[in-house]
Amino acid sequence: MKKLILLTAASLFWSATLFAAGTQYNLRVDGLACPFCAYGIEKKLIKTEGVESVTFDLEKGLVLVKAKEGMTLTEAQLKQLVDDAGFTLRSVSEQAL
Amino acid sequence: MKFRPFAILMLTTLFISSCAWFPSVKEPSYQLVKTWGGKGEASGQFNEPTGVAVSKSEVFVSDSRNARIQVFDFDGNFQRLFGEPGEGTGQLGRPMNLTVANGELYVADYFNDVIQVYSLQGQFLRAIGRAGVGPGEFNVPGGVAVAPNGDLFVADFYNQRIQQLDTNGTFIRQWGTLGETGVWAGEFNYPTDVAIAPNGTLYIADGYNDRVQAFSPSGEFSHKWGGPLAMNIFGSFNGWFATVTGISVGPKGNLYVADFYNDRVQKFTPKGEFLNAFGLSTKGATQNATHTAIAVAIADDGSVFVADYANHQIQKWQPGEQHGR
Repeated sequence: MKKLILLTAASLFWSATLFAAGTQYNLRVDGLACPFCAYGIEKKLIKTEGVESVTFDLEKGLVLVKAKEGMTLTEAQLKQLVDDAGFTLRSVSEQAL
Repeated sequence: MKFRPFAILMLTTLFISSCAWFPSVKEPSYQLVKTWGGKGEASGQFNEPTGVAVSKSEVFVSDSRNARIQVFDFDGNFQRLFGEPGEGTGQLGRPMNLTVANGELYVADYFNDVIQVYSLQGQFLRAIGRAGVGPGEFNVPGGVAVAPNGDLFVADFYNQRIQQLDTNGTFIRQWGTLGETGVWAGEFNYPTDVAIAPNGTLYIADGYNDRVQAFSPSGEFSHKWGGPLAMNIFGSFNGWFATVTGISVGPKGNLYVADFYNDRVQKFTPKGEFLNAFGLSTKGATQNATHTAIAVAIADDGSVFVADYANHQIQKWQPGEQHGR
């Protein structure tokens, strides 16, 4: 019984931490040549409801989108935003923070 | 045998072209004399510096992700900072290329789609333009140049054009076609910056076309350079570019071009003849040597200040002894 309580408490703690920390979406984008274009994607994304911050890794061609606590973003939504900025979204992966 | 003259002609042409496309260095190397900064939010630190300009005695830096301008003396000593994040009057979104002209600082503000004008002490004076695609409107201003009469020349990045506005922001004319990219003369592919020579020649950093275009004071296309035929052929040879992100005119009228993916600044005559190249990638640097030259400014004594995006710092270079500025 004691083990079960501990396990449940640990699970709840882990879930709460995960939930509080939010999700990061790693977007692989074609043509991410320099900050001039990367900022264009950031400009679109940062105005989107649920987005907390946007950074990027030019070397890897990645845009890293951190969602606000409890918020989620869909791949279709992200694809549209990247398209609007004039780039092509190749893939999206999610990462719990 | 009848093809022999033709073959000789072809080989000669190829040889001459090759010489033109692979020029040699014409000056002694520039020396890196100082760097300052580092990533952070404290005074004197930067988070993605993307622009640099100089007055007679100070260096102004677009501290882009910190949404502020920082000012230093020529030895890198911090003097002051101004600006704060936001969309309101005098607030900065994402400052990019800078220009000091007529005793004022002009800031291309990427996120707010305006040119912000400050006194050199940091007092906000006025904003020019607004978001849009119409005359006098911007879709991401990347850089600005100012003529002696106060006219502005703005690299309107996403609108694929250069706009000339009067001192009040009223549209005068433009180069390029709204929203359309192209590789021919007078067409642009995400222009990032603009510089104007004392004789009125306009030089445009044609970003993703990997070239510079020059226009006469009357607005006619004059010449272009950057790789074979200057038609979006990128590379790392002398005189070639891999994404042009900044351009400045030196005190002797030479052009200094920030060659972003080649991590260097290249120097040219006003006609576009290659003179020199320098950057961290050529120094065997222990620091991050990728994305180390995004913007450039030149002081009257020939010192060259480079915004180093990757290392969040400013580099100061000085010319070799036999040549100058």
